[in-house]
Amino acid sequence: MRFSYTHHMPYTGVTEAGQDWPVANKQFDPKLGVEMFQRYIEDKIYAEQAGFDWIGSNEHHFSPYGMMPNPNLVGAVLANRTKRAGILQSGNIIPITNPIRVAEEYAMLDVMSGGRLIAGFMRGIPHEYVAYNVSPDESYGRMAEAIALIKKAWSSPEPFGWEGEFYQFRAVSIWPRPVQQPYPRMMMSASSDASARLAAEAGSSAGFLRIVDFESTRQQIKVYMDRARECGWTPKADDVMIGMNCSIAPTYEEAKEILQAGQKYFFGVLGGGIRTAQQLVIQKTRYFKDKGAAEKFAKKATVQREASFDERVEQGLIVCGTPEMAIQQIQRIHRELGNGRMNLSVKIGNVADHHVTRTLDYLRDIVFPAVRQLGEENDPAQAAE
Amino acid sequence: MFKEKTAMLGKGEIKYFVGGTGRPLIHLHGAGGVRPNAGLEALAENVTIYMPVLPGFDGTAEIAGIDSMETLADLVADFIDKEIGEAADVLGLSFGGWLAAWLAVRHPSKVGQLCMENPAGFRPKDAPAPSTDPETRMKQMYAYPERLPKETKSDKVIAKNLSMLGHYHGDTSFDEKLASQLGKIECLTMIMHGTRDGRVPEEAVQFLKRDIPRSHLIYVYDAAHSMETDQPARFAHLVADFMERAEAFLVNQGTTSGRPQQVL
Repeated sequence: MRFSYTHHMPYTGVTEAGQDWPVANKQFDPKLGVEMFQRYIEDKIYAEQAGFDWIGSNEHHFSPYGMMPNPNLVGAVLANRTKRAGILQSGNIIPITNPIRVAEEYAMLDVMSGGRLIAGFMRGIPHEYVAYNVSPDESYGRMAEAIALIKKAWSSPEPFGWEGEFYQFRAVSIWPRPVQQPYPRMMMSASSDASARLAAEAGSSAGFLRIVDFESTRQQIKVYMDRARECGWTPKADDVMIGMNCSIAPTYEEAKEILQAGQKYFFGVLGGGIRTAQQLVIQKTRYFKDKGAAEKFAKKATVQREASFDERVEQGLIVCGTPEMAIQQIQRIHRELGNGRMNLSVKIGNVADHHVTRTLDYLRDIVFPAVRQLGEENDPAQAAE
Repeated sequence: MFKEKTAMLGKGEIKYFVGGTGRPLIHLHGAGGVRPNAGLEALAENVTIYMPVLPGFDGTAEIAGIDSMETLADLVADFIDKEIGEAADVLGLSFGGWLAAWLAVRHPSKVGQLCMENPAGFRPKDAPAPSTDPETRMKQMYAYPERLPKETKSDKVIAKNLSMLGHYHGDTSFDEKLASQLGKIECLTMIMHGTRDGRVPEEAVQFLKRDIPRSHLIYVYDAAHSMETDQPARFAHLVADFMERAEAFLVNQGTTSGRPQQVL
């Protein structure tokens, strides 16, 4: 089992709940912002020392939810300050960004890190399309075309042009080229059937990040695996990444109290306004290809809100408790889903940074050594059937 | 839209089709013979397209002495002389793209600008051969088979068309003789490749881009080998823009061009 550490770099100086999106930036205190950036960067670097295999950064706009409108800037710092860990950009929101710019910046990160980039291609959460004034109706089309264009930009030795539906370029030849040839390793979200198929078609590893139960996740993994085989390749267990929130403490009660408070702040303060804009996009556009996918997305949100914390831990949807409990929970997830990789989010909302560090230490000293061997030979398709 | 005519050439007569408005453009067909389609009709709004039926294709007679790519290129040069009377832009599809390169090498004064559309003839020896399995072949040829115009040719004509390929180039898949002379091509050249083309490998168009001095390689997204029918609007816009603006086609014209500008 390999582990990825994603830290959204939230701005936790906001206290008022339920603010609409976009959140007024008059609440941003630059002095506090400087401190947070310094602390968060050190925290991400510490994740490598704690034994994480990848360190993740992601893109969000116009909200204290995350202070990384361009995660590649953070990736550049990590590329320079770390030695071993993969630099997971999870990712750039491809449909709202210039794909040539993404190809160039990702290539830079791959070279700067000595070939450690994991190139995340994300479609983003719905409100991001309002931020950059791109039609949500076009999100899948832009995503598919942009990925094809980026891969061509990475791999074409000769200058080329592109005549597409959404993108037209007449002269492309990026400098530098990536170290990993023909492409850097890729990571895409596979949380809907359409995105699972797209990840498989792109030859990308897949992240299953909003899990509501094991059964539906198994089905999602099956969609990904089946489509990959149709495209002529077979993902390994290492290509299947399961995302979970994580809190570890000397007792379950303490771990729960810390994470529960962080989640309350996350959903109430950081995520509140986003939901309003999200609903607007989902209801008024064709962000999802079909009604079923939109309903599935809404159901996930409802299930997450309605189930109690204890129920979700019981269902195996949160890694929370003592180190020994965390080991059992990770073993169970692997048993159920056959994954060879997990993404653990520890800094949830305003969870205190010293608690974050303590969880990382427990993971390094007790949890990781006990679960490293999981998924080495496993085929996730077998678990999904 | 396209009218049938006959051209009397030095070696014999050939049939051709012509239609459209604007400067002349010679379209050299692929293995399927002349096939008017949505892409060519859109292109004809900006150029006058001349489509010679190469000897032996589409039920026409072969011409004695025209039995190689070189002699066929000489015949096309004669066609340009007789029917247009000055240098013409040339667009060749697949087999026609291969022929167009021979024309540009042997008769540089006859070619204005050159456009090679999914060109055959430059398959590296280590690249896999195109599939002969009918289902796979269909996928390699057509991203959107439902966009194909209704078939009007008999099975006999289609089979004869395919046999004419061997008549002109034998079993050659990489034309070494032509490849060694690509550096002689003086005209501005655009090489077009469909991102889903399963018949012409990526290495072939990269090779052409590398060896033709004033060339541009453009990928046409979501088009297979039959680019003109898979993506008619992209095909027509790109060719017309290249022919009209030459090197300046690299530069974005902005919204005043009548085409929506890329947002990002």
